[in-house]
Amino acid sequence: MKEVDELKAQLQDLQNKALALFAEAESLKVLQELRVAYLGKKGELTSVLKGVGKLPPEDRPVIGQFVNATKTTLAEALDKAEVLLSDKEKQARIQAERIDITLAGRTTSRGVVHPVQQGLNEMTAIFSQMGFEMAEGPEIEDEFHNFDALNIPAEHPARAMHDTFFFNAEGDADAKLLRTHTSPVQIRAMQACVDAGGEPPLAVVAAGRVYRCDYDVTHSPMFHQVEVFKVDKDVSLAHLKGVLQHFLTAYFEKDVPIRLRPHYFPFTEPSAEVDIGCVFCNHKGCRICKGSGWIEVLGSGMIHPNVLKAVGIDSSVYSGFAFGLGVERLVMLKHGIPDLRLFFENDVRFLRRMGAK
Amino acid sequence: MKIPFSWLKEHCPIEKSPQDVADDLVRLGHEVEGIETPRAGVKGVRVGHIVEMKPHPDADKLKLLKIDLGDVDHLAIVCGATNMVEGDKVPVATVGTCLPNGLKIKKGKIRGEVSFGMCCSEAELGLAEDADGLLILPQDAPVGEEVGEYLGLEEAVFDLDITPNRGDCMSLRGIARDLAADYGLPLIEPGDEVVATDDSVTTPTVGVVASEDCLLYRACRIEGVKVSASPDWLQARLIAAGLRPINGVVDVINYTMLDLGQPMHAFDADTLHGDITVRTAKEGETFTSLEGKEVSLHAEDLVIADDNSVIALAGIMGSEPTGVTEKTTNIVLESAAFRPARISITRRTCGLVSDSSMRFERGVDPGMIALAMDQVAHMIVGLFGGKVSATTTVGDADSLIKDTQIQVNMQRIASRLGIEVPKTADAVLERMGFGIEHQGDTLNFSVPSHRPDVRLAEDISEEYARVIGFDNIPVVMPPLTNIQPSKVDTGITDAVRLGFVQVINYAFISPQEQRLFVAEDAPQDDKDLVLPNPISEAMSVMRRSMFPSLLNTAKYNMNRQQTGVALVEQGRVYAGNMIEHTETNMLAWLMTGDVQQDTWYAKTRKADFFDLKGAVESWLQGRGLTARFMADDDVQGLQAGQTAKIFIGKSVAGYIGKVDGDLADGFDLSDDVFVASINLDVLHAGKKAKFQPIPEFPSIERDLVFLFDKGATSDAILQTVRKACGQHLVNASIFDLYDGEGVPEGKVSLGIRFVLQDGKRTLTQEDSGKAMQAVIDMMVNKFEAELRG
Ligand SMILES: [Zn+2]
Repeated sequence: MKEVDELKAQLQDLQNKALALFAEAESLKVLQELRVAYLGKKGELTSVLKGVGKLPPEDRPVIGQFVNATKTTLAEALDKAEVLLSDKEKQARIQAERIDITLAGRTTSRGVVHPVQQGLNEMTAIFSQMGFEMAEGPEIEDEFHNFDALNIPAEHPARAMHDTFFFNAEGDADAKLLRTHTSPVQIRAMQACVDAGGEPPLAVVAAGRVYRCDYDVTHSPMFHQVEVFKVDKDVSLAHLKGVLQHFLTAYFEKDVPIRLRPHYFPFTEPSAEVDIGCVFCNHKGCRICKGSGWIEVLGSGMIHPNVLKAVGIDSSVYSGFAFGLGVERLVMLKHGIPDLRLFFENDVRFLRRMGAK
Repeated sequence: MKIPFSWLKEHCPIEKSPQDVADDLVRLGHEVEGIETPRAGVKGVRVGHIVEMKPHPDADKLKLLKIDLGDVDHLAIVCGATNMVEGDKVPVATVGTCLPNGLKIKKGKIRGEVSFGMCCSEAELGLAEDADGLLILPQDAPVGEEVGEYLGLEEAVFDLDITPNRGDCMSLRGIARDLAADYGLPLIEPGDEVVATDDSVTTPTVGVVASEDCLLYRACRIEGVKVSASPDWLQARLIAAGLRPINGVVDVINYTMLDLGQPMHAFDADTLHGDITVRTAKEGETFTSLEGKEVSLHAEDLVIADDNSVIALAGIMGSEPTGVTEKTTNIVLESAAFRPARISITRRTCGLVSDSSMRFERGVDPGMIALAMDQVAHMIVGLFGGKVSATTTVGDADSLIKDTQIQVNMQRIASRLGIEVPKTADAVLERMGFGIEHQGDTLNFSVPSHRPDVRLAEDISEEYARVIGFDNIPVVMPPLTNIQPSKVDTGITDAVRLGFVQVINYAFISPQEQRLFVAEDAPQDDKDLVLPNPISEAMSVMRRSMFPSLLNTAKYNMNRQQTGVALVEQGRVYAGNMIEHTETNMLAWLMTGDVQQDTWYAKTRKADFFDLKGAVESWLQGRGLTARFMADDDVQGLQAGQTAKIFIGKSVAGYIGKVDGDLADGFDLSDDVFVASINLDVLHAGKKAKFQPIPEFPSIERDLVFLFDKGATSDAILQTVRKACGQHLVNASIFDLYDGEGVPEGKVSLGIRFVLQDGKRTLTQEDSGKAMQAVIDMMVNKFEAELRG
């Protein structure tokens, strides 16, 4: 056998053996080792090539071509095997990384805003958007701001309607009390305006805690009110109705019918109690609205001239409307909360269910 | 006030249903709290004609009746009564009827005989307390008709809440006047029968000293009265109106008060000594009320007195010894006008309320004083006999009942209501008793004596509004005064985002709870603000600390299946005295128990100081504020070593710490409890974010680990580090803390991580090396720290 044939046979052997090994390779690492073993600088193909030098010169190109063909075949086979293997390995990895995506996610515990606070936030936001400026006042008040300036003189029967927490004897020159309503903020805001040399228009919303010496299923000694008033030239009862209708519709997030009933408050004239169509029975009449289809939500009216007089605003030039609403009551109506006391028990199970997240 | 519909109809011929009338009353400003039909229970009871009566075969005392109800078949009824005869008409409760006493009528068998209903007595119909036998109806009673309708028992009674300004509506006549005007129906005037006076009866002598408070006083004497119980119809009316019958004379007075609105009083003339004087009380004078309560009087109390003693608190009630009883034969009758404010003062100081005081306080129509007295005298003489003296009158009746004239501009009324006043409104107001005269824009308005509440243009606008109907006032949005930035306070929202549940507690706590966190005299001489009339002892002191209520809330929840709570409250604390006091806006937190429960990814963990500190820091960061925490071992109620003052700049903004263990035990809290509070009023707004370019050059991170003596605070170490590193330091933080194996006793290993950067160039190894060396030198010099790596 000629040397050249021998060499060819040898290469053929090498190729068969290599292809078989490539096919068996189980990892990319093994394949890489095989690549080095066969195609590397010190690999098997190189060592076969070393025998080429012994061949007669005319045979060298023949065998050269053969070597190159073998090299190409092996290289292509290696590439192909590599692709297959890396694909397989990726599949295996994906399989290994499978998780139970139905397990609970990692969370931190969430807080909640108290439903009364949420109500306050919603209400004051609506009034802010309507151009009412936020104001605050003290909770420990004097008789002047809580009663006298609001046209409720000491001997007036209306004074008895407020179950007042007095700190000292009622009627003392400087008797202090826990405010029974947010209306004293009305007085303070108007006084501040006048004292600063200003004059109406004034449009104010004031929210806060108020106190009544009354504690049973439907009364809490502390609750929240929102007071709203506007003083300007030509403010009318029709404007009061406009603001009430807008507010109640915005707060309850639906068109609620409203009804004004003539009533009496010392600090407004005319005065009106405001009812909304019962939200539980859609105004049809149910147990909660005692069959009337109406639910009382707040008291309102045109500011009494004596109130304006008490703060030095000329009632022949300016007029105004005012109303005060019970926050807890509106929140109860909006969310169907049955019992006022739930708000101050602060059971976190109730708060988490009813509060805003 | 209770208004029986049938009585109302005697003042005005109303033909509407009770429900319609109730709606109209509401529209006119009279709150209807309910419509009662106290005898509605007699529905189903019909007029029956006894067409046959036979003895029961098996029972001597029972009768078998055949009753004609006007239906095809006659009804068989077994009856035990004995007072009826064949041919009588009686009330028959048919099967299915539920009687006022709760008895439900069913078909039954009595001693073998079937019975399809029951014949009723007055008691069974709820018309009398007890009764002897059946109620025998008149022979002309229509067979088959509902007995309730026939006897007028289906009475509707309106329960009205009369507003304090409408004293005139504290009577049947007052309510009728409003309705009659609204309906355009006539208001029926009260009868004008006057008893002839008898000169043989001496007229009482009356002196009015306090003429400012007693504007008119009328009195007469009635002799020879035989006081007995008032007639059934009168008693029934009083009961329907919510009053208890007492005796004939008192009942007549009460009846007339309800009817016409004028409260009056009758004295037993034989218990009086000398003349009657209307005066203010002498300080310390006593008075025994009808209920036997003795009250001590003051100089501002208006009284009626005889020569010996106070015989009545004017307009409120008479004294016990001078009251009319069944034994009384001679009477002095009083009808007067008192100033409302004066009655109000005495009512409050003496704590005595009566139907009379409720009316006088609200204002009584002086126009009724004479009329009501005539009616009472007429009724007393008619019912119980007697002779009436001439009347003594002190005061000027004419000026009292004169109309009041008001002049207003009609445009002001229109602009206040937001509607042009329709002409039709005038007619209604005129029927209510007002006088109206238009002269161009000017309105001349005259107000009758029964409406003392109408004095200003604004009052007139209310009358127009009532008559026009609030429903007919248009709905108009007022022009926007000014645009407001939305300033809803985010304090609570931020705290909630950090995982806290907002609670709202009462502002008052118990005196014991107050002392838990605030010593009696601490600080700055502040005092407790104590409520003299608290709901209870537990709610009697204005809180000076937010912590007691938070602890109570934690207790409440930990007792109800919670394993941990994180609470936040925004509210005020109060301190000071009556002359000077403060209200401070606070935000306060409480954490106790689990902050982490067992999950598939984490193990359960209890809250510690740093959970709460982190929350407070994050909350402050949200407002652009950074706080410094300074250890403070002397905060009442908080545990030394785990408590700090919180500084914002130079001012103390609050406290944070672990609640004393024994104190927490007192609230049944077994886990460590951490609380913090921030005074919102000392927080200044943080700086508004200002743009800064993101640094162009990379930062370098370096770590150093030192051994420190225990007791060196990270705050002090990091401050020193900042000084040492100079301007290149962006951030320095403790990234490792270890005092376990390998660390000598009394030492702690702290790892500090540095981030260095320069805005203008890339820092070199040399730069950072220099900074690190400076740090090492300072740590060694200042803390005798030892570099570990
Ligand atoms: Zn309803």
